[in-house]
Amino acid sequence: MEQDKLRTRVFIALWSAFVVLLVYLPLACVALASVSKGRYFAFPIRAFSWEWWEKTTDSIEISMIVENSLLVAAVVTVFSVVIAFFGALAFARYDWKGRKLYQKLILLPVFFPQPVLGLALLLAYSALGITTSWMTAVFAHMVWIVPVVTLVIAIKVYGFDPSLEEAAFDLGASRVEVMTNVTLPLLWPGIWSGALFAFLLSWGNFPLSLYTAGADSTVPKWLYAKMVAGYSPMVPALGTMATLAAAAVLLGGALLGAIVKKARAA
Amino acid sequence: MTDIKDKKPILQLVGVRKTFNDFAAVEKIDLDIFEGEFFTIVGPSGSGKTTMLRMLAGMEAPSEGNITLHGERINDVPANKRPTCLVFQSLALFPHMSVGQNIEFPLKIKGVDAATRKARALELMAIVRLPASYYGKNVMKCSGGERQRVALARALAYDPEVLFFDEPLSAIDYKLKKILEKELKDLHRETGKTFIYITHSLEEAMVMSDRIGVMRAGRLIQVGTPEEIYAAPVDRFVSEFVGEVNVIELKREGEGWRGVNLPGAFRAAPPKDAPQADSTFVVVRPEFMRFLNDGEEADNTLEGVVYNEYSLGSRIQYQVRVGDKVMLVELSRSNALPAAANRNVRLGWDVRDAISVKA
Ligand SMILES: Nc1ncnc2c1ncn2[C@@H]1O[C@H](COP(=O)(O)OP(=O)(O)O)[C@@H](O)[C@H]1O
Ligand SMILES: [Mg+2]
Repeated sequence: MEQDKLRTRVFIALWSAFVVLLVYLPLACVALASVSKGRYFAFPIRAFSWEWWEKTTDSIEISMIVENSLLVAAVVTVFSVVIAFFGALAFARYDWKGRKLYQKLILLPVFFPQPVLGLALLLAYSALGITTSWMTAVFAHMVWIVPVVTLVIAIKVYGFDPSLEEAAFDLGASRVEVMTNVTLPLLWPGIWSGALFAFLLSWGNFPLSLYTAGADSTVPKWLYAKMVAGYSPMVPALGTMATLAAAAVLLGGALLGAIVKKARAA
Repeated sequence: MTDIKDKKPILQLVGVRKTFNDFAAVEKIDLDIFEGEFFTIVGPSGSGKTTMLRMLAGMEAPSEGNITLHGERINDVPANKRPTCLVFQSLALFPHMSVGQNIEFPLKIKGVDAATRKARALELMAIVRLPASYYGKNVMKCSGGERQRVALARALAYDPEVLFFDEPLSAIDYKLKKILEKELKDLHRETGKTFIYITHSLEEAMVMSDRIGVMRAGRLIQVGTPEEIYAAPVDRFVSEFVGEVNVIELKREGEGWRGVNLPGAFRAAPPKDAPQADSTFVVVRPEFMRFLNDGEEADNTLEGVVYNEYSLGSRIQYQVRVGDKVMLVELSRSNALPAAANRNVRLGWDVRDAISVKA
């Protein structure tokens, strides 16, 4: 018996380690490629250097691209969270005619193949005579990201007892006071996760930006373009930086959320 | 409170009805609630109690009829503009606020300054018997009974004229429930406010109320003092709701009555509201049923076999099989029936101890 249990535990540990390795090994390869001195990636690495990282951080082109990506992600985050917040209330809270249909329609874009969605939007823009730029990319990202954020916030709304709002209203609060004193503070963790999701999904999105950002480039778009033509170790260097930045946003966001939660509970 | 009829009505319902789609959750209710009374609405789950309370609190608008407060129609006055406050079944305490912040919430909304708010919160905590050290405590870390007290203090902080309670004690264990019932009753007396209380437990209603309204399927079928409800239930439903009773169905036969599925002819008073009815239900409380000694007679008698006996503390309940029916007899312990098990017995009851209600 004891022996069996031990064996199971060892197996679970090995298997988990294997899966984690499978997922992270390619990322590690990219990171390694970015610090190898040679122009082309070959294993084992002969010499390490930060040369390509320095070139990347010094490049004016890259700083413009990063700015574009940050701008798009920031604008997408703000709009998505506002739209998704009210959308999630309609999604999970209020009973109204057509709610079931709305729940399905809002979810659908998540499952559209993104290149098709991007192409569709591009065709729509040109039909309407709109010149594509980072602004049209913002809209494209939102088509895909708003549903995701809606879902993330809706999960929190489902766990929210509506009698809390009624109680606040009954105790004299106006609709606005109910929102600011009860609804928002309680849904805050969901809104915060939704914002992180929005930012990171936009930051890493390639297919929608490819079709709809026009002449403006973003980090994923640039990585792809350089893969196709003009490869240099700046590609893995920027890729690694972008991934690390995403991880930092995620960790920092989660940490901040936990700190706020702890401060409030005390 | 014997002078309740001399008091002025504070809330009045006239022909109030509430439908959801086509389903009537509350049917044509006429009711006066008097200033300062403790009024309890009892009824089984789904009978429309919560819906009625929500209309009084302003969270649901009546589909028909009028609700007035001090004689003024309030159908369209929203909850936040009514001088009433509801303590929810779930209590609805704000989980992101401390005990003190919860209690101060209505004061904060009114714009009362922080120092005054805190002083008032501590006052209220003393009234509901919460230690002052709980002021900064997270409400989610309070026990069930403590949460009740926080909810009560928060409602009192709003200083409403009428307080509504929607089964607040339903999730509390028996012993604590008894304590809280008593405290609530004390609080009612001390504050002099009007309390409207919902419960599905008549026992709870009997202990606390000045008057009770019994609801069934959206209708208010009887309103009266606990004594009135107990002594003169309007129908079989109310009598069974009041407690364990013997219900005997009788059919008219000539001048007398014959038992349905019971052997024998019986003497019974005709039901008050339908004296000509062909059939009637006779309700006999277990404490009015008695075992008859040899030669002893009663207005009505039955023969059966004791098959079970239960201790109810100072009283003993006997279950007696009569034909295929079970009759209940309750005796005080000092009058216990010796060697009761499987004993053949004669049961008896008198007409004056039985209540005839229409079938
Ligand atoms: N918002 C609503 N929509 C539809 N039906 C409702 C609604 N609220 C209550 N009901 C129905 O009205 C009836 C009475 O409910 P309720 O007042 O909650 O009863 P109680 O409090 O006595 O258990 C129930 O059948 C319930 O399903
Ligand atoms: Mg209810």
